[in-house]
Amino acid sequence: MSLFARLRQVYTLTTPAVWILAALGLIAAAVVFSRPASRPEGLVFWLFSRSHQEAYQPVLKKWNAARPTPASTVTDLLLDGGALERRLLSGFMSGTPVADLVELERGMAGRAFSGPVEDIGFVDLTERLREEGLMDTINAPSFGPWTSRGRIFGLPHDVHPVLLAYRSDIVEAAGIDLSTVETWDDFFRLMRPLMTDENGDGRPDRYILNFWATNGDVLEAMVLQAGGGFFDDHDRLALDTEINARVVATLATWTGGPGRISVDAPEFSAPGNTLRLRGVVLASIMPDWLAGVWKMDLPELAGKVKLMPLPAWEKGGRRTSVQGGTMLGISRRSADPEAAWEFAKRLYLDRETHAKFFASTTIIPPVRSSWDHPVFARPDPYFGGQPVGTMFIEQAAHVPRRASSPYNALARSRLNDVLLALVARVNREQITDPEVLLPETRRLLSEAQTAVQTLIHRNVFLRTEAP
Amino acid sequence: MSHPAPASPPAAPTPRGHYRAEPLWVPWLCLAPFILTTVVFLAWPLLQSVLLAFKQTYGPRNAVWVGLENFTFLFRDPLFWKAVGNTALFALGSVFVQLPLSLGLAMLLNRPGLRGRAVFRLVFFAPSLVGLVFVGLLFSLMFAPRTGLVNTVLHGVFPAFDPEFPWLEVYIMPALILAALWLYVGFNMVYFLAALQNVPEELLEAASLDGAGPWQRFRHVVLPEIIPIASFVVLMSLLGSLQLFELPFVLLNGGGGPDNRGLTVVMYLYQTGFITGDLGYASAIGWVLALGMAMFAFAQKRFIRRHEEN
Repeated sequence: MSLFARLRQVYTLTTPAVWILAALGLIAAAVVFSRPASRPEGLVFWLFSRSHQEAYQPVLKKWNAARPTPASTVTDLLLDGGALERRLLSGFMSGTPVADLVELERGMAGRAFSGPVEDIGFVDLTERLREEGLMDTINAPSFGPWTSRGRIFGLPHDVHPVLLAYRSDIVEAAGIDLSTVETWDDFFRLMRPLMTDENGDGRPDRYILNFWATNGDVLEAMVLQAGGGFFDDHDRLALDTEINARVVATLATWTGGPGRISVDAPEFSAPGNTLRLRGVVLASIMPDWLAGVWKMDLPELAGKVKLMPLPAWEKGGRRTSVQGGTMLGISRRSADPEAAWEFAKRLYLDRETHAKFFASTTIIPPVRSSWDHPVFARPDPYFGGQPVGTMFIEQAAHVPRRASSPYNALARSRLNDVLLALVARVNREQITDPEVLLPETRRLLSEAQTAVQTLIHRNVFLRTEAP
Repeated sequence: MSHPAPASPPAAPTPRGHYRAEPLWVPWLCLAPFILTTVVFLAWPLLQSVLLAFKQTYGPRNAVWVGLENFTFLFRDPLFWKAVGNTALFALGSVFVQLPLSLGLAMLLNRPGLRGRAVFRLVFFAPSLVGLVFVGLLFSLMFAPRTGLVNTVLHGVFPAFDPEFPWLEVYIMPALILAALWLYVGFNMVYFLAALQNVPEELLEAASLDGAGPWQRFRHVVLPEIIPIASFVVLMSLLGSLQLFELPFVLLNGGGGPDNRGLTVVMYLYQTGFITGDLGYASAIGWVLALGMAMFAFAQKRFIRRHEEN
């Protein structure tokens, strides 16, 4: 039988639909493979925040207008945070296409830094920053989350100092003056009369602080404020320190037992916002970015909230902390890293962009020379006419240093577990004195330290480079 | 007398004297799409994941062969065993709470003369249409302290009840089992209902005539008849429980909950692979889980074979 006859026989065994599908498949494959992989000319810039993208447009347009050829223009692309992280890590690890410039959130950065230092996909900016004097221009603690094994891989976008927001309408109506507050003890002593039971159900209708044992972000901020943390200055795990033990034991007595003063009012959630609007929670830990979120999500609180420095853990102690963070990195695979570096500086060091960005998000820049811009001193009606920018800037130099370890989230989760175990004991035994909890806290932190250290030690890439 | 249809002419003998049927490439050509898809999307990734379980990686360029270290670490990793314990507890809840309830509902709906059977069936089945993520969100709002439906109602009815009782911290596993119960009871009920409707009526009548009561009819007639379906439902529930991920992930905001009491094996796999970035260890966890599931499937098959032989 001839080949044609054989093929005809095969054809008759199937339906025409199969052959139509096969033909369409072949045509589609031919079209796809015949087209060269297209990539926009110039630099590609990935970001994950729409508010950032909107604030950058004037700089982007000016930059592109000043380029005679499209080779060094910049095209921005807004991606969902998770998608950005996946595409970035795939690009770094497997060589799939990745942007020239990438804006990255702190939670994602650790994972980008988890391999051998020479294989981190971002350009090492350490020498450039030194040579161009940017190490002195930019607020030093802002480099922490983007520093891995002594090398800096990102230009910091922010500082994210933390203040305390409180319901000024309720506090002032009760005649409470918070201007004398120095420590958390002072603060709770003055505020405790507001924890009354007006509906007669035997429970307070209001709680002083928005904090809960499961809230890892605030837990981290509190520990950092006290001078503790998860990793030391050499990025070595440091969970079982005395400072951490004292802070966690104290937080346990805030969260449970007869001395409880806190309530769980999670941010970005309907139940949490309801508690804030009802005045069930009187004070909240407030990084600069959250102030902008409240203005958008809780307009009903306009004029009813004020800011103050965080009460210190002890007299003369730090009155702020830090929460969140974003960097701009340059991919090592960028076709033109020099142009990308120039654009990064233009975008992140521009005074007017800083002002515009603050006006729309309440986020202050890490560039100290921009801090005297009048926009930061402008009274903010949402916060009772306070100069919110100035208040955050006053604390910016004091924000604690943070590590960039890929194990930061794990360490934080273990600290959360310790706190939860302590709260359970506080509730069970009705403990109010943190000193009673200290022996158990030290033991639990030591166990947590061992558990996390074991996992870190398994990482052969970090193991060989440990200092 | 009709003549048989003429047979097709015999294939021509080959030069060696053998009869050749179809050319060898024809079946291969027809099978090619399947083989290609299977190799590219199933066999090759499976092989890679086996190899990955013996490595530590940071992308394909940075892979270090660690031998059995991932597996040896796994067997002394307390968090893994905690996840196994939690998953087993959930599986037990599924089998011993969910399935009897499903069977009970199916028996109620199978009562002769019941009006509106289709409506009840739809009502019970409807939750399974909404999806795990939605159920997770729904239950997280229901169990929210102070503003959640459960605490608001309980505090309204019993003023002494703490409106801030943290259900999702204290009773994580019961909350998960309850959410899964709401989701899957109706789904499994449909299987049982189909099985019950296939129980021969004459067997039940004969048993009644012999004086068998309702429990004896169930024990000696209904149960043996529905065993194949029941064991299938048990297997599916077990395998579904072992793969539990979305529900606790949404309900517990991506973590394992306080003291990891809501951490399941697949959640731990996800956290290890995609949060900590240890893909090799995650792969080892995945293969141990797969082996566990294969053992359950094998046991179910043997059970059914033995039942059929008896």
